[in-house]
Amino acid sequence: MSKIVTTHMLECYLDETLTDAELARVEQELRHSPTLREQLRQIIKDQDRGEHSVGAVWRRQHLTCLSRDQLRNYLLGVLDAGENDFVAFHLQTIGCAFCMANLADLQAQQKGTDAETKQRRKRFLQSSTGIVQPPKKKK
Amino acid sequence: MASESDRLLIQQLRNGEERAWEIFIARYEGRLLAYVNRRLRDRAASEDVVQETFLGFRNSLPNYDEKRELQTYLFSIASYKLTDYLRKVGRHPLQHVDGNSDILNQQLDVQKAASSAARSSERKALESDAVARSLTALLDQWRHAGEFVRVKILELLFVKGWANRDVAKFLGVSEQHVANTRFAAVKKISEHIRDAGLPADVFPELREEPS
Ligand SMILES: [Zn+2]
Repeated sequence: MSKIVTTHMLECYLDETLTDAELARVEQELRHSPTLREQLRQIIKDQDRGEHSVGAVWRRQHLTCLSRDQLRNYLLGVLDAGENDFVAFHLQTIGCAFCMANLADLQAQQKGTDAETKQRRKRFLQSSTGIVQPPKKKK
Repeated sequence: MASESDRLLIQQLRNGEERAWEIFIARYEGRLLAYVNRRLRDRAASEDVVQETFLGFRNSLPNYDEKRELQTYLFSIASYKLTDYLRKVGRHPLQHVDGNSDILNQQLDVQKAASSAARSSERKALESDAVARSLTALLDQWRHAGEFVRVKILELLFVKGWANRDVAKFLGVSEQHVANTRFAAVKKISEHIRDAGLPADVFPELREEPS
């Protein structure tokens, strides 16, 4: 691909379907290029005016996003070859931020819930709901 | 559509059951944190954004429409809070633009769009649904037949916007195969949209024949 950052990449940037490398490139170019920023602004305007595309529908409705079960089985290595390959493709080539987040979460869960995670959840609970977790006996 | 267990959870949250909030946070904080941290690469700041996300969710709970998947809804709140944070610390690429925040706000709440620009957004939703339905049918058919290469071709063409020749090269298939796959999809989606009484040519992918 000749252009460093294409219009389509900017759309993917807005809809969170960029690989780590692509994301770094887009962020870098956006910082340095006023033209590219103007292009991004224009895309947002067009979308706001009601323009859409098959790609945008696909990205926003998560048509090929992976289920938690699929991701779990992927981590366990029990998917059949075709599906396993597709999961890797959606994560690594498409760069779906939502599926990547789910994968990272499941990977962390595999290690079990450590004290740090428990502390963090307690903090979230208290800060967002005001609920102070009562001490529990249950496992 | 929210899953059965999410719907039950929402109901319990609405009833103010404290234990439900615990379950809710344990279920979702990990993926939200991973999502935000990928952009921020700053654990403490990411936790702040996730905290804001939960607060935002709690405040919008009365308006949450269970037809929306809970995870998608939470990610959209997180995305909005993330943008907010990036602006605050001067890391957002478009932070000096006025009016732009309105657009980003709208991403959060699609339901809100039913006011002034109602006509066009309703129409847009109809068109989107028609495309999504026909694509889902096509993709399911291919997936069940184990034809993942076709799914990949289409995802690279439509989602990533790659050219036919780049897709062919990357996947190690012929350009003709890529072109045929595109043609089959465009035909199917276009028919579906017309059957729904909608114009297919509002979608750029359905009106041009890319070289
Ligand atoms: Zn995905």
